[in-house]
Amino acid sequence: MAQFLTEAMGTLSDAGSLFVVAAGLTLVFGAMRVINLAHGSFYMYGAFLMTTFVGTSSGLRFWWSILLAALVVGALGLVVQLGVVRFVVGKEPLTQLVATFAVFYILADIGLHIWGDGARTVMAPLAVSSSFTLAGAYLPVYDLVIIGCAVLVGLALWLVLGHTSLGWMIRAAVDDPEILQSGGVNLRRLHLGVFTAGALLAALAGAIVTPQISVAPGMDQSIIVTSLLVVVIGGLGSVVGTALAALIIGIADTVGTLVAPNWAATFMYFAVILVLVVRPWGLFGTPER
Amino acid sequence: MALSMNDQPRAALTTTDHTAPRATPARRALRPMAIVVGLIVLVVLGMTLSPSNALELQYATSLALFAVATNLMLGFGGLVSFGQGVFYGVGAYTVALGWMHHSLSFGEAMVVAPFLGAAIAVVLGALALRTRRLYFALLTLTLSQLAYVIAENQANFTGGTNGVFGSMVPTWLLDPRNSFLFTLALVAVSIAILWKVTRSPFGLVLRAIRDNRSRVEALGVNVFAHELAAFVVSGFFCSVAGTLFVVYSQSSYPELLNWTSSGVPIFMAVIGGMYSFLGPVLGAFVYEFANHFLIQYTQDWQLVLGVVLLVIVLLRPDGLAGAGSAVAARVRHLRTVRATHDERPGVAETGEGDAS
Repeated sequence: MAQFLTEAMGTLSDAGSLFVVAAGLTLVFGAMRVINLAHGSFYMYGAFLMTTFVGTSSGLRFWWSILLAALVVGALGLVVQLGVVRFVVGKEPLTQLVATFAVFYILADIGLHIWGDGARTVMAPLAVSSSFTLAGAYLPVYDLVIIGCAVLVGLALWLVLGHTSLGWMIRAAVDDPEILQSGGVNLRRLHLGVFTAGALLAALAGAIVTPQISVAPGMDQSIIVTSLLVVVIGGLGSVVGTALAALIIGIADTVGTLVAPNWAATFMYFAVILVLVVRPWGLFGTPER
Repeated sequence: MALSMNDQPRAALTTTDHTAPRATPARRALRPMAIVVGLIVLVVLGMTLSPSNALELQYATSLALFAVATNLMLGFGGLVSFGQGVFYGVGAYTVALGWMHHSLSFGEAMVVAPFLGAAIAVVLGALALRTRRLYFALLTLTLSQLAYVIAENQANFTGGTNGVFGSMVPTWLLDPRNSFLFTLALVAVSIAILWKVTRSPFGLVLRAIRDNRSRVEALGVNVFAHELAAFVVSGFFCSVAGTLFVVYSQSSYPELLNWTSSGVPIFMAVIGGMYSFLGPVLGAFVYEFANHFLIQYTQDWQLVLGVVLLVIVLLRPDGLAGAGSAVAARVRHLRTVRATHDERPGVAETGEGDAS
């Protein structure tokens, strides 16, 4: 029981941070039909900015730094949208993938100049860096922070997308952009807002996981693959699907580590293959024309 | 190829490859001549350059095959595969592991590798081609990463993160000239076969699928089989390119298989021009030499590559080859305009607007 609780908590926390990154990716796709391969770069920038802002301090500054890192990367997202992504909306997948791949390269290079190629760490404030006991299991408090954050993000997206006029505009932006525009909605501004929000979510996830990982170049490359796995399983554009898929990936990873450590890293890929063989458009996606 | 021999609608599938040059007799003679001259220049360069530069030329030559093989799907089939690194890596690992486990001689591995790549392509293609367009790109990217993870984690068999390195190439291939000529010969033959494939009825059907999938489907063509065949042929030749990586570096490592490695031939095709058969060759040489020389002066290769890709994909999606033929068309156009309408110079501005 104790081991199960420990594993479950770790899985939930991993799935939580993964959900926040992937939600940003799927949100952008849902509104603009663009897969942003530089999404992982926003995640990495969030984490690196966090190391810069927090420095060696522990305490309240940690929380402000998360907010600040997310906002700065949101502004970066604004620039990327205005400078690049705006021009590839509605273009061929190849154009979109190569253009955002190019942004990925550019951001990776700039990141190397700013933060160097060494690994960095961040300490969580004392209040959340301890553990608590439940049914004989020692569970880190910080896992709860990540899970809580993921739940909040999920709720916020569900509310905004499903229950506000902004939400139906975002959904209509793909279904029928022309009608939407003739109704007086500024589609460009809508895209700009959504893309910024997507970058912000990636950075939020990157910032919030910093106490649990070592922050280093290359994390942009690995997170984008994992979050692509998530959105592909969940169905591109679906937030509910993304949440479910993040859980599936998290569980596949944990089970893999327990069952066959040597093959652990491959489990999540087989989960994707399994899902796509049955439903090539993902669990909650719609078939592509 | 045999697949398409029974496809009745062949006559209806007039190609819309607007970049194909009009076959005037002069142009028809020009192309083979240019290729022969290019080959001679390559051989002379390979024989006269310093060993390190000749080695670089050899590497660029092998990458040209990787790019052309990838472009069979990208430019001709309209299939964006971010997974060709798998086959490149399979080619390299077949030679390297055959040597490490004493199971295959170099010669045997060179023969086995492409067929192994093709066999894996049958399986992965059957899986990935269930999906379309963006999902296909993302799924192949995933498969590429899966292959990478396997190569990295099965250390007992693959040598793990460090990969395999050692004297796995026969001694006669250690001479830079021999290995260059060997690479050039293999690449030239492979590219010639790929050229035949794109000009065959099969290649025409493939292009027709790219341009109007539902119409070709309605005509009764088995689209899936054609796309799978393209995937397999591409995988076969990507593996050949992978074996040549071992000839170049005498090593094989997991990064050959991952998604950024799979992106490289796509970039080459995009830079050189994916709608022209030899565009990717141009792209491969430009890419590799820019990489090779820039690394000596700056650490910002990624930045340069990123900016170049952005400029090309946003402004000239048909790449250098497309830009070249647009310039040529412009010049021809201006020349005719000057000859016929000498009194109205403004015509040139309103003529072929596609040059912008």
